[in-house]
Amino acid sequence: MIFARRSHSVLPGFNVALGITLLYLSLIVLIPLSAALFKTFTLTWDAFVAHVTAPRVLASLRLSFGAALIAAAINAVFGLLVAWVLVRYPFPGRRVVDALVDLPFALPTAVAGIALTAIYAPNGWLGKPLLESFDLKVAFTPLGILVALTFIGLPFVVRTVQPVLEDLERELEEAAQSLGASHAQTFARVILPTLAPALLTGFALAFARAVGEYGSVIFIAGNMPMVSEIAPLMIITKLEQYDYAGATSVAVVMLAASFALLLAINLLQWWSRRYAESDA
Amino acid sequence: MAAVLDLPMSVVRPRARRVAGVPVALVGIALAYLTLFLFLPLFAVFFEALRKGWGVYAAAVADADAWAAIRLTLLAAAIAVPANLVFGVAAAWAIAKFDFPGKSVLITLIDLPFSVSPVVSGLIYVLVFGLQGWFGPALADHGVKVIFAVPGIVLATIFVTFPFIARELIPLMQAQGREEEEAAVLLGANAWHLLWRVTLPNVKWGLLYGVILCNARAMGEFGAVSVVSGHVRGLTNTLPLHIEILYNEYQFAGAFACASLLAILALVTLVLKTWVESRVARETVI
Amino acid sequence: MSIQVIDVSKRFGTFEALHHVSLDIEPGELVALLGPSGSGKTTLLRVIAGLEVPDSGSILFNAQDTTAKRVQDRNVGFVFQHYALFRHMTIFENVAFGLRVRPRALRPSNEAIREKVVKLLKLVQLEWLADRYPHQLSGGQRQRIALARARAIEPKVLLLDEPFGALDAKVRRELRRWLRRLHDEIHLTSVFVTHDQEEAFEVADRIVVVNRGRIEQVGAPGEVYDHPATPFVYQFLGNVNLFEGRISRGIAHVSGRRLAAPEHDGAVDALATAYVRPHDIDVSVQKSDSAVAATVDHAVALGSVVRLELTRHDTGDVVEAEIPRDRYDGLKIVHGQVVYLAPRRARFFLETAAPTSEAA
Repeated sequence: MIFARRSHSVLPGFNVALGITLLYLSLIVLIPLSAALFKTFTLTWDAFVAHVTAPRVLASLRLSFGAALIAAAINAVFGLLVAWVLVRYPFPGRRVVDALVDLPFALPTAVAGIALTAIYAPNGWLGKPLLESFDLKVAFTPLGILVALTFIGLPFVVRTVQPVLEDLERELEEAAQSLGASHAQTFARVILPTLAPALLTGFALAFARAVGEYGSVIFIAGNMPMVSEIAPLMIITKLEQYDYAGATSVAVVMLAASFALLLAINLLQWWSRRYAESDA
Repeated sequence: MAAVLDLPMSVVRPRARRVAGVPVALVGIALAYLTLFLFLPLFAVFFEALRKGWGVYAAAVADADAWAAIRLTLLAAAIAVPANLVFGVAAAWAIAKFDFPGKSVLITLIDLPFSVSPVVSGLIYVLVFGLQGWFGPALADHGVKVIFAVPGIVLATIFVTFPFIARELIPLMQAQGREEEEAAVLLGANAWHLLWRVTLPNVKWGLLYGVILCNARAMGEFGAVSVVSGHVRGLTNTLPLHIEILYNEYQFAGAFACASLLAILALVTLVLKTWVESRVARETVI
Repeated sequence: MSIQVIDVSKRFGTFEALHHVSLDIEPGELVALLGPSGSGKTTLLRVIAGLEVPDSGSILFNAQDTTAKRVQDRNVGFVFQHYALFRHMTIFENVAFGLRVRPRALRPSNEAIREKVVKLLKLVQLEWLADRYPHQLSGGQRQRIALARARAIEPKVLLLDEPFGALDAKVRRELRRWLRRLHDEIHLTSVFVTHDQEEAFEVADRIVVVNRGRIEQVGAPGEVYDHPATPFVYQFLGNVNLFEGRISRGIAHVSGRRLAAPEHDGAVDALATAYVRPHDIDVSVQKSDSAVAATVDHAVALGSVVRLELTRHDTGDVVEAEIPRDRYDGLKIVHGQVVYLAPRRARFFLETAAPTSEAA
């Protein structure tokens, strides 16, 4: 038991608290998660590979990861901009806007899904003009998926960058400018490197969230096999066909991605903490 | 003196004026982006819900299946939030007030459900409790149904909201340190006094914050619940699932009417969250 | 109540915070644990309080072993460095806390609690702050409230961790005197931790100098200052200059001068380091075989004395000397001038014991 050793403390309740924590963590998270892994181990390697590399599955994985990556990139750029505007420019209504940035955290994904579909459908407020003017179909295409994933990933970059930006001393910029740097140089050489860990963390969080997203996507995606079918939907489809092995295989690929991202995010946060400490 | 000050001022002023156009443009772009992706969808929910008038709206919300869905949603949240609350306090107490090896591993594991796809979260419970799963057949023999039933929905909801309260409390209690508790112990306080008179009052805002976010996610969860629900109308449909069914049956007004309830919940959540944040800011500023 | 620390050791991982420490504290004494940061003094205080359990050794209160006693039942008053006031309680409730958490049978009535808290607040002269919250108080006020709160449980022992560490210089001096007066009135056995020698000297009856988990010396302030037991104590208590020398049969030869070193009369032609306080150095403008040449880098007048910073010609070491103002004026010393230094009084430590790397 690696948790058993600890330095003595006069405060009570350690054993009870840690006991509850480990029991609950095991029951709710660890045991069910390991079930998925064990299920995969009952497959042969060839069978697993066959499940995962079926053209329809591959297409769905490519779509989920690709769209999530683009959506996270969009959010990195615009999220940085929103954070910057919220911290630096006191415009009227800023506090309301600031509060509403968290809407994608609070709004159930199904609600977001049908709302976005209504807007971007061929007869929707934006869908209609886009279709008529630019011949651009958004809903029921991969573009629609991108819109949904951008929506649900929106707060991550804003909320990771914002506090760092608030702590960023104006003096740093003033120092750079007093040394002759232009606005662009100050931003590229002083501000951006300071924000980099937070920006990357936000990007990784938005990406992780978008890869696994289901509720907001299925309404707007159109769910055409090989074209606009995301990986989580693939799992559900296979489950509905009682193809547990197939569903689990896809799930394990996604779990592996989750773990890798979790590790990356932890490393990033450790990095940004170190950054902050060496600053102080 | 004035002459000395004039020179640098006159150099700075035109530059400052030239830069002033940039913020307006940046604020404009930021607001346009937020309008496109945030405000418009939010507005669309209420617009679509009321498109056919109040009568249709009221009928959709008062529908028996809708009520059953609301009740189930409330039930799931009413179990998931307190369960995660007890866990969150216990985990934060152990992690923030004591030193033990493996602590950072534990913190990472607590965060794990955040990075797992909701659909995968549902699937793992099917693999444990489903008829093809580990305990499914044994449970079925005793007449206990977890998957495609209420227990599965509650479990899936607990899983996806698992880290919310713990991750609010852990950094907060770590930052507060142990001295107040040590002082209380030296003054004769027992474990009960510590919890109720020292520790919990100190973290009450963080706790409330976590509960608000946990509750919002619990009531709004779709993907995980969708996998374990079985979609039996009036029995295993939560409100988000009910919206899906209505939408797929082209009952758009009804779907958006139910969606508007959840959108209101989201707005209330944001208002409460902002209020808590301002309370915390005020208490730390003074 | 008396306190006995018997052979206490404590490690944190690989760091040895306390190494076989023993200490006796008499009833009614006010003792300072003095040492640099990381010396183990706070750990020792926390071990006495019961907040840390020693790896070995024991703590006796009135000759009774406390090791098995729960912290809650030890009846120790403890004042934390950053006060640890309960931030969500009023000042009144903070002071009342120790009474309110007593088991029902021993708990005073609300009336009695009120009376007692008001009395304690009056004692620390802050009764007008009863309804405020800790964050509304200044550092000095918080410190006094922390003391009142610790006193509410009528402790037999009062322990204070860097009680004035977080305060500014003026408040610190006032509180020091106030604490000393308070102690003289009540004579509660008290131990406080400090890294500030001035504070220890002004307040304490006895000083315990702690370094690297060990006790270097215990004694009354004057005794510790005049007769430092180890090179560390010498260096820690004020500025000091190091001169190389030799000792033979109780006579030391330092830069051509002979000084008595009766404590080393057994040594024969041994290398020794002379520890010399700045005010024990003679400064002269006359060249002499029994003095070393040095250049004046800097002269600062500090009231009635002048502090000189000089560079020795032979070793290049920086020497600090203090001479009376009139002498300085009489010598007419100017910046860059060469003068001659000789230790008038010194304390010698044989070479094996002296840290040569820290020559000042």
